[in-house]
Amino acid sequence: MTSLSEAPEEAPVLHVIDGELLVTERGGRGARLLAFLAEPGRAAWRHRDLIAAILRRELSERFKGSVAGWVWAVVAPLIALATYTLAFAGVVSLPNQAAAASQFDYALFIFGGLIAYSFFSEMAFRGPSLLHEYAHFIKQTMFPAEMLPIISTLRATAYVLIGLAVMIVAQIVLAGTLHWTILLLPLWLLPFLAFLIGMTWFLAALGAFTRDASYLMMTLAPILMFATPVFWTIDGFSPTVRLLMYLNILTGFIEIIRDISVLGSLPRLAVVLWTLFLSVATFYLGFWFFRRQRDRIADVI
Amino acid sequence: MSSEDAVIRARNLGKAYQLYENRSQWSKQVLLGAFHTYYRSFWALKDVSFAVQRGESVALVGRNGCGKSTLLQMICGILRPTKGELWVKGRVAPVLALGSTFDLEATGRENVMIGGAVLGMKRPEVLQKFDSIVDFAGIGEFIEQPIKHYSTGMRSRLSFALCAHLEADILIVDEALAVGDQAFQRKCLDWIEGFREHGTLLFVSHSKAEVMRLCRRAIWIDDGRIREDGRPVDVVRAYARAMEVEPDDMKRFSAA
Repeated sequence: MTSLSEAPEEAPVLHVIDGELLVTERGGRGARLLAFLAEPGRAAWRHRDLIAAILRRELSERFKGSVAGWVWAVVAPLIALATYTLAFAGVVSLPNQAAAASQFDYALFIFGGLIAYSFFSEMAFRGPSLLHEYAHFIKQTMFPAEMLPIISTLRATAYVLIGLAVMIVAQIVLAGTLHWTILLLPLWLLPFLAFLIGMTWFLAALGAFTRDASYLMMTLAPILMFATPVFWTIDGFSPTVRLLMYLNILTGFIEIIRDISVLGSLPRLAVVLWTLFLSVATFYLGFWFFRRQRDRIADVI
Repeated sequence: MSSEDAVIRARNLGKAYQLYENRSQWSKQVLLGAFHTYYRSFWALKDVSFAVQRGESVALVGRNGCGKSTLLQMICGILRPTKGELWVKGRVAPVLALGSTFDLEATGRENVMIGGAVLGMKRPEVLQKFDSIVDFAGIGEFIEQPIKHYSTGMRSRLSFALCAHLEADILIVDEALAVGDQAFQRKCLDWIEGFREHGTLLFVSHSKAEVMRLCRRAIWIDDGRIREDGRPVDVVRAYARAMEVEPDDMKRFSAA
């Protein structure tokens, strides 16, 4: 790998005939499918310096002009957590009484759900307008627009990590426990990232053509919050309703983060596999959709 | 002219934009496009064929809206042609209005880092060339200031300096020099002359003197087609004469 990158790069060739980009495709159907599956990772690796440069800029921009800067990123989740603790501690009990070790558990329980939900909603709100934000690059340079959803999802991840850190510290301080299952966090985060990147590819491509995508998400996201077990669990429902609930991928993600952080139990394998399947499917469908629309985007944006 | 050592080949190249009356026409096209066409095609570039050899310096002349920029954007790979064949080999550096991609809130340094990455430079490469870029731009301590405090001239200085350090095979200069002062224009022209020894140049300018100095060939694009292709001296003269005779008719912007 290193020897490859050291070697002088072959001069890039652009070849288009009647609007069709000619790419040398090797191998049969299977090899082409493998190449497609590997493409997002390879492209991200190729543009890693660009991703880092824009990500660095986006992160420093968020709190620019504020004196406290990054303190806000920590204070916001702290205040949220304090509010839920005051509002819910002792008032409502967990459905699973055995696991409810302390009165703070319900607050942490909601907090876990909110971290997952706000991760989703940030991308849902920003996705449709993402390409408009970077229109000047897309119109005037050979800008790899398909990297933008990756960059913006990574930026959102930074805030999610802060929220998770606050949650873990709160768990240690308030509940006095930390479950070993917290080590499974990467198994939650990576599929979630894949899902959100895929979703943002889809929303960004759609949003490039019509602003309706933006309004649609602004209307849907708050409704979805109540159709998603952020403030409650699905345990109380009948099995049929529960199965329907799992069609919403956020249900799985929220259940997993609660299992591994607050309850300290292993998430159910079926839920993990189903969520993983939905994530990977969304990732590749989104990528496929974005690539299909890619050439028309510079015309319309 | 043989195409043995060509870096750019275009054959019957055309680019159409889809124009819609309103948004609902667009959504009808998406849903019912298979049965009926809801847009009018505007052919910004109609039928263009030419080849550029390695090391050539070619000037593109023509009136506003004749299709020059569309052609350059296709060569850069920003726009996809609608018909015809286009073949481009090598790293392309578009000086076309690069300054307008600058993020106004970010400092010159941040913009150089991002701009370099967008143009395909690796981070160590940008860091290594950074001092040289700032030196070429000649904007001194302003590099640490947000771009919004720059004058237009300073912006184009920085963007040209960045492109000059790209080590591109094909340099595309689109009226970028017009805003610099005399001293900086001379610096850029000198640099471009040096670049021509190993690279290919596509140059858009309304300045007759610049075209004569830098280019050995000129292509006059008129209404999406090549009207003349030859020595700069002849093409520029024919173009200038036509400008005097033909009125500035705005009808040419309307779709056929």
